[in-house]
Amino acid sequence: MTGPLRYMARWVSEVAHVWKRELRLMFTDIGIILFFFVLPLAYPLVYTLIYNPEVVNDIAVAVVDNSRTSQSRDLVRQLDATPAIDVVGYASSLSEAKRWHAEKRCYGVLVIPESYARNLGRGEQSTVEFYSDMSLLIRFRSFLSALTDVQLATGAKIRSELMASAGVSGSMGGGAPISNQAFFLGDTEQGFASFVIPGILVLILQQSLILGVTMLAGTSTERSLRNGGTDPLEVPAGITATAVGKTLAYLVTYIPMAVYALHYVPMIFSLPHIGSMTQYLPFILPMFIASSFLGMIIARLMVREREMAFMVVVFTSVVFLFLSGLTWPRYAMSPFWYWVGNCIPAVWGVEGFIRINSNGADLSAVSHPYLMMWLQCVVYFVIYWALMKWTRRRQVVAAVSQKDISATELPSETV
Amino acid sequence: MSGLYNSIRRELRQLGSRRLYLWAMVLVPVGMALFFVSLLSEGLPERVPTAIVDLDNSSLSHRVSRSLNSQQNVAVTMNLDSYHDAMRKIQEGEIFGFFYIPRNFEEDALNGTGTTITYYTNMTYFVPGTLAYKAFKSMAVMASGGIVQTQLTGMGVPEEVAGVVLQPVVIDAHGLHNPWLNYSIYLSNSFIPCLLELMIMLVTAWSICHEIKTGGSVQWLACADGSMLKAVVAKLLPQTVVFLAVSLFMQVLLFRYCHFPLNGSWSAMLLAGFLFVIACQSFGVILASAVPNLRLALSVCSLIGILAFSVAGFSFPVEKMYGAIGIFSYVLPIRYYFLIYIDQALNGVGFYYSRVYYAALLVFPLVAAVMTLNLKRFCQRPVYIR
Repeated sequence: MTGPLRYMARWVSEVAHVWKRELRLMFTDIGIILFFFVLPLAYPLVYTLIYNPEVVNDIAVAVVDNSRTSQSRDLVRQLDATPAIDVVGYASSLSEAKRWHAEKRCYGVLVIPESYARNLGRGEQSTVEFYSDMSLLIRFRSFLSALTDVQLATGAKIRSELMASAGVSGSMGGGAPISNQAFFLGDTEQGFASFVIPGILVLILQQSLILGVTMLAGTSTERSLRNGGTDPLEVPAGITATAVGKTLAYLVTYIPMAVYALHYVPMIFSLPHIGSMTQYLPFILPMFIASSFLGMIIARLMVREREMAFMVVVFTSVVFLFLSGLTWPRYAMSPFWYWVGNCIPAVWGVEGFIRINSNGADLSAVSHPYLMMWLQCVVYFVIYWALMKWTRRRQVVAAVSQKDISATELPSETV
Repeated sequence: MSGLYNSIRRELRQLGSRRLYLWAMVLVPVGMALFFVSLLSEGLPERVPTAIVDLDNSSLSHRVSRSLNSQQNVAVTMNLDSYHDAMRKIQEGEIFGFFYIPRNFEEDALNGTGTTITYYTNMTYFVPGTLAYKAFKSMAVMASGGIVQTQLTGMGVPEEVAGVVLQPVVIDAHGLHNPWLNYSIYLSNSFIPCLLELMIMLVTAWSICHEIKTGGSVQWLACADGSMLKAVVAKLLPQTVVFLAVSLFMQVLLFRYCHFPLNGSWSAMLLAGFLFVIACQSFGVILASAVPNLRLALSVCSLIGILAFSVAGFSFPVEKMYGAIGIFSYVLPIRYYFLIYIDQALNGVGFYYSRVYYAALLVFPLVAAVMTLNLKRFCQRPVYIR
């Protein structure tokens, strides 16, 4: 065999050795099994169950009816008939309604003025006040769409009565010249689980992977500290072969997990799922690779002990959730936070997966997030490589200068 | 008493010995509080990117497009030629919705044939989707009303009367204490303390179980004259001081610096913050005593701490969750702190209405005290199971 070929063959065998060892470490460690298997299997189910009621209906509302006429009662009946609102009772005064609100017996108060029916009779505009509790915005949102519908329906009804009594005939009485129709894309039922779960699924995959990777690396560091600076279970291999071999080992579990979380979970709970597996599986692959390298970097910099993975990684799930734009759209972020988000694999993963899964996009429509994740793979690999090169050289220098390898420790204690 | 004093001194040395404590107790919670406040500083993400598909190109359709762009919620960033182009832009994520004006729009609207405006919003992103929907809907209704009004006045109906005929009933919706629909008020006040809860639980479980992992628990117990309760209190007291300072920082940041609603009294919220920190530490003690193994305890704390963001009902109301799931929100300190925040800060309804929540926070330390009985066994014979 010629030189380059022999070199290649040795490299491949190194990768294979690292891959095999990493797989063994993964499957013999309860902590890792928890992160790599139990977490991605159980969390999607738990999260979907939390949000699965989807819509917030029948929210308790109190009515203060100062008009006490058949017209005002008619308005209340119409509100009660909307799915969002459940009229729990008539309060005798605004202060009584306020007390109900304080006791959480109602989350909205409708106040009908004394002049309500009189104004309608005179052909004047009647204004009704509605006060909404703002502790949860989803209630306000449900109220708002119900109120708009009732306002339009009541308006149309009264209008046709007014027009008829005024003797105006023609098309304007009932139907307006321009009608309108709304279509909801992606999450057609506007359910909460349907909106939030596709993004959460991607985030769970990344976070469980990073947790597992950092814990494996932390355990290895712990072993090497006990063994005078070298991990006895580490396979001697080059930096590239080590990174590639380990990442391939993680993919062995994460590709089936991706099928489970991204295909079966939406199917089980009938969440939006119009994308094709041939699009989102290739799409999510670079996220795993980039996350694996990112996890190795985090571990090298911050995780000196097995359990430190928890202290360093867990809280970032919340950060990444927000940076992904799921709750707060990315176009409204400051340039700084937008840029930070660009560095996180799952930020692109969430965005692209939602568009494929819920909006039916194909890979070409999500090429930007897709390429960004591949770019992350390259950048994180280079950073990891440089970091390892630097620490390995330091080890060698330290070993030579002290002439005693057992006194050498891995990189300086960071945390 | 000397046992307590010596134990506290021992703990202070430990806290100073690792940068991990500075990181987990101060840097992460403070940094995260600043993260939320800074990320959401705009309050409401206005100017949602949207598009118009105008197949009519008439003066009426142009007028509708112009007034749509003047709505504060949306920004019309594109004019597209077909439904398919618009759908593609939705899939590419460049727009969150589009407004579709059909062919012969002006003609059909004016000659009485009738026409339909359709609008599409991408609800996979709730906030921009909803904002775009609101703007589209009010635009469509307004366009329709404008024509009716013109026709009515043309028929000799006085202008004031025509206006009333268009909208005889107006329902004015007011958001109590957050009329601006500020998202930061709503998210920062729940997510920041929930993150503090997560970090308090992790640090508490870490500092207790790490003693067992390293075998230091024997000395720890001996230092406190063999009293488990004394040992735990001594261990956690210095941390309590740090966490209280962090909690105070958060409240000052939210209520003073950001001027978020504080319609009740400062003292009610300070008391809530104090009890909340103790309750979170106690919750950590309860979990660490139940599974006194560093890895398992931290796993359980992470699991619960992260699920708390959903189960505590910040975005989806607990009473609408499945009963078997919603009930778990009531084992979390953050649930009570959140309810107190709603009563005492957002709505300002008087201490009386929150009395149960304050009392509930006091239950956590009591349970923790009982649970330490279980811990002692493990501290005397520390065995670390991987």
